[in-house]
Amino acid sequence: MGSEAEVALPSRRIRVARSVLVAVGVLGLGLGAYVLVDSVALRRLPGLALWIAGAIVLHDAVISPLVFGLGVLTRRAGHRVAGSVVVTVQATIVLGSLMTLIVLPAIAAQRQGPRNPTVLPLDYAANLGLFWLILAVACAAVSLWFYLRTRRANQRPSRIQS
Amino acid sequence: MRRLMYEARAQLASPVRNPRMATVIGRLLGLAFLLCFGTGLYSHFLQEPLSWMVFPTRPAGLYQLTQGTHIVAGIACFPLLLAKLYVVFPQLFVYPPVTSFAQFLERASIALFVGASLVEITIGLLNTYQWYPFPFPFRQVHFALSFVIIGSLLVHIGVKLPLISAHWRAERTAGPPEQLRAGPTQEGLPRTRGLTGRILSYIDATPTVPARTSRRGFLATVTLGVATVVGLTAGQTFTPLDALNAFGPRKKGVGQQGVPVNRSSAQAKVATAAMATDWVLTVASGDTERSFSRAELAALPQTDVDLPIACVEGWSQMASWRGVRLRDLIDEAGGSPDSDLRLISLEQRGGFRQTEMGREYVRDPLTLVALELNGETLDLEHGYPARMIAPGRPGVLQTKWLSRIEAIDA
Ligand code: HEM
Repeated sequence: MGSEAEVALPSRRIRVARSVLVAVGVLGLGLGAYVLVDSVALRRLPGLALWIAGAIVLHDAVISPLVFGLGVLTRRAGHRVAGSVVVTVQATIVLGSLMTLIVLPAIAAQRQGPRNPTVLPLDYAANLGLFWLILAVACAAVSLWFYLRTRRANQRPSRIQS
Repeated sequence: MRRLMYEARAQLASPVRNPRMATVIGRLLGLAFLLCFGTGLYSHFLQEPLSWMVFPTRPAGLYQLTQGTHIVAGIACFPLLLAKLYVVFPQLFVYPPVTSFAQFLERASIALFVGASLVEITIGLLNTYQWYPFPFPFRQVHFALSFVIIGSLLVHIGVKLPLISAHWRAERTAGPPEQLRAGPTQEGLPRTRGLTGRILSYIDATPTVPARTSRRGFLATVTLGVATVVGLTAGQTFTPLDALNAFGPRKKGVGQQGVPVNRSSAQAKVATAAMATDWVLTVASGDTERSFSRAELAALPQTDVDLPIACVEGWSQMASWRGVRLRDLIDEAGGSPDSDLRLISLEQRGGFRQTEMGREYVRDPLTLVALELNGETLDLEHGYPARMIAPGRPGVLQTKWLSRIEAIDA
């Protein structure tokens, strides 16, 4: 993505649009800061700043490296199978993790005891397990389909990437 | 240090990490953010209107739609934001990190954007679970951050505008897509020894997936991700998806009389006052004041309406209500349907104990002081002895356990 420098000098229209966007954006930032200080007690702000910084650190230092490592590992482990199968397995892991990320807090909140029985009424843990199971089955089916397709294309058992 | 950065970039070069993909995902994310921002502002001003504001009362399910959309677009932000961050991950390692003051500001605004967005969608999600493990108030922070996010997003779009417009259409990026991948290739890299070197050469030896497969796979994963998180939760508000609702924080039909509950009578501490036999609803307008017992209300002409309860937290439930038309009641008490009202609940405390209702809702024939829900006497959890139900308003404003209705003198 170092190609910014390679983009030719922006046209006049783009330069104008750019100044407008940046100016409105800065106004928005200012308004946000004002609303924040105006409506939230000052002693709460360090906690908020900590959460924002924490979110950046959590993403950049934990989630991203994990995803990166996972990409390397799945490709390594799958170096004998077609690329499409590797990608299918990766997609399965990503989808499962995504849903887990969203549902885990629901399970945690449920453990804490919802405020009334109509809040969080489902069996989220069981549903999550079932979800992973269905994902795994779908992954196996799609992989098999890719595998057979590649094999047919190659007219022999494939050891080559598609 | 410099060499390390250099190598990191080489390994991070992936066919999906290019400006075109950043533009494609960025557009979708921008759309989702704008949907959230627009519907969020609508919800905010319904609850805290500026004095000149008048709201549409039709379609009756308008708020159900806008807030349902808020939560659906909001939850779609999870896969989209993570995908966007995945695409631009190598930018973290740009070396040297800062070249000019302007660029420092730009990077700072992106950091703020990323951090604030992650916090915004996280606390939004946690709020739908009614779980507040954060050290600050939800609503005020969620509101303020929305301006911070949209502001820094505009700055970001402004800065990247030449790049975005260059990659807006796929055709413009003619030529082999591989050329889009900037950054050094493996050959020219200096070698590193020791553990780092081993890890790096392990990574270097990792087979690559063909670029086309990898790009298609990425887009398919993002699409499926959005479809999954939306499809398996949106049934809490969009009826056709009810059968797929495996993870929504609410379930249609689950609750007293088939309707979910937000604030319970125990939380509101109203049980004694609401069950008291001498309960009356007082309607005050100017100097006149009239009180109605429940039997007196039931003796007035009754109207049946079908209206949804639509919660700020994004769930909704259609229901049948029976009760007295608000405008008839005001009439009966000698008031005018052309003034705004203040609604007061039996609740002793709580942010929505006392709320206001604009005249557009007072006049509307669908607005009732409801006494029955789904064919039965209103359950205590749904606001017995009497509650308000009006079209197009958030559930927090559908005052339960009504005690007093006052005309606000203009
Ligand atoms: C960038 C994304 C988002 C933006 C810009 C945004 C913006 C807003 C705004 C302006 C409000 C009105 C706040 C007020 O009433 O003062 C709001 C309310 C709300 N948002 Fe979001 N939001 C976003 C994402 C989310 C997500 C991901 C969720 C949950 C999954 C969520 C859940 C809620 C809820 C439950 C409310 C109602 C709060 C209340 O009135 O009590 N939001 N949002």
